[in-house]
Amino acid sequence: MKFSHLMKRLLSLIFILSIAQTITAFAQENPQLYKLQSPFERYRHNSITLRGLGALPLGGLSDDYIDKSSLKNYSVALEWLFPNAPVSAGIEVGKTYFEKRLPRQLYNGAEWDISAVQTRTLTLTPIQGFVNYNLSGVNAIVQPYVQASLGINVVNYVLYLGSLGDQYQKLRFGYGVGAGSRFLFKRDGKFGADVRVRYNNATFEYGYLEKGAPHVTASFGLFYRWW
Amino acid sequence: MKNKRYFNWLLAAGSIIALASCSANDPISDLSLEETQVYMTDRDKTVDFKNYKTFSVVDSVLIYGNQGTGTELTEGDVMLLNRIVRNMENMGYQYVSADQKPDVGINVAQVNNAYVNVISQPIGSYWGSYWGGWGMGYPSYYSYYTVNESYWVLEMLDFKNANPIEKEVDVIWRSQIRGEGINDKTLIPVMIDKIFEQSGYLKINQ
Repeated sequence: MKFSHLMKRLLSLIFILSIAQTITAFAQENPQLYKLQSPFERYRHNSITLRGLGALPLGGLSDDYIDKSSLKNYSVALEWLFPNAPVSAGIEVGKTYFEKRLPRQLYNGAEWDISAVQTRTLTLTPIQGFVNYNLSGVNAIVQPYVQASLGINVVNYVLYLGSLGDQYQKLRFGYGVGAGSRFLFKRDGKFGADVRVRYNNATFEYGYLEKGAPHVTASFGLFYRWW
Repeated sequence: MKNKRYFNWLLAAGSIIALASCSANDPISDLSLEETQVYMTDRDKTVDFKNYKTFSVVDSVLIYGNQGTGTELTEGDVMLLNRIVRNMENMGYQYVSADQKPDVGINVAQVNNAYVNVISQPIGSYWGSYWGGWGMGYPSYYSYYTVNESYWVLEMLDFKNANPIEKEVDVIWRSQIRGEGINDKTLIPVMIDKIFEQSGYLKINQ
């Protein structure tokens, strides 16, 4: 009698432990079972990205006008992201400025021979729409993307001879293609960082520049997103 | 929640406006006075300057422009005229007075023009000029400023081959000196030396 009572208790204990182990294992395998998705995963949401850009002239811009890279460039982008689509879209406004100083030298023209210190400048103010193809979900910590942009550039080309300036200022077609990645500071977070490399061009022909102003920008930015 | 959404959009709009308002820097503000100056020369390419031996220079400087016309002879003008003589002599020409029938004569003038220009600020300083001075649909402040443009003009006249019937002489060489500080006495010798230095074809004593 005493032995059978002990066996019953032992079997009860084994049964309770096995149930507890089953529940624990089930909970570990399904940590999100009762957790709602983040609003960023459920709703269309917005983001603003402020970027600082380094710009490197390419092609005719580098060969014939300014071959010096520049760092004092920036942009701001507004973007709309969709939870169940890999594509997002937005607009970006920025400023890219190139400058180069040439010491005094003699330029032989068709009429005048001109001795001057040349200061070559080019300011591009892109106002462009862009489309991103995002390679991961909107809530992933690392969110790589590829980008294409299209729009206008306010082109401001000023070539100074000494203090005399020759200016060309027009609205011209502009485009770009690039790739980058966003990095969330924490999962479900509102803030993150953005890095991007992009080829850009503005289509115009003036002065030393016969095929626009091709250049590549590398940027680091911070973004804030909200829904 | 609604207010927070408005705040986010205000933040976004503010960032774009702040970006657009950033004023352009002045890329030539660091130039010295001498570096701002532009020395321009031109010549009649059919002329062989070795055919000329003597020269003369006007005895005062002609000032002309939309602010009036007249002659002057300041200390700086004397310095400038003397520097021209010195450079011409270094190139092999002989100075003679105007009544001794020089082969070539050199006119010296300073052009002074002043006109009113308009800019709009702050954003309009960029966009306003693009649209020919028209303002945009947001508030901007217009300011007027006067531009003073002064530059030296030198001309070499061919008296040796003057047309006595038409009373005309050809300009066979000319120069303009533009930029800042063109009346600065410390820069006058540099300016004049530079325009002759870049006109090596004038040299007749090689």
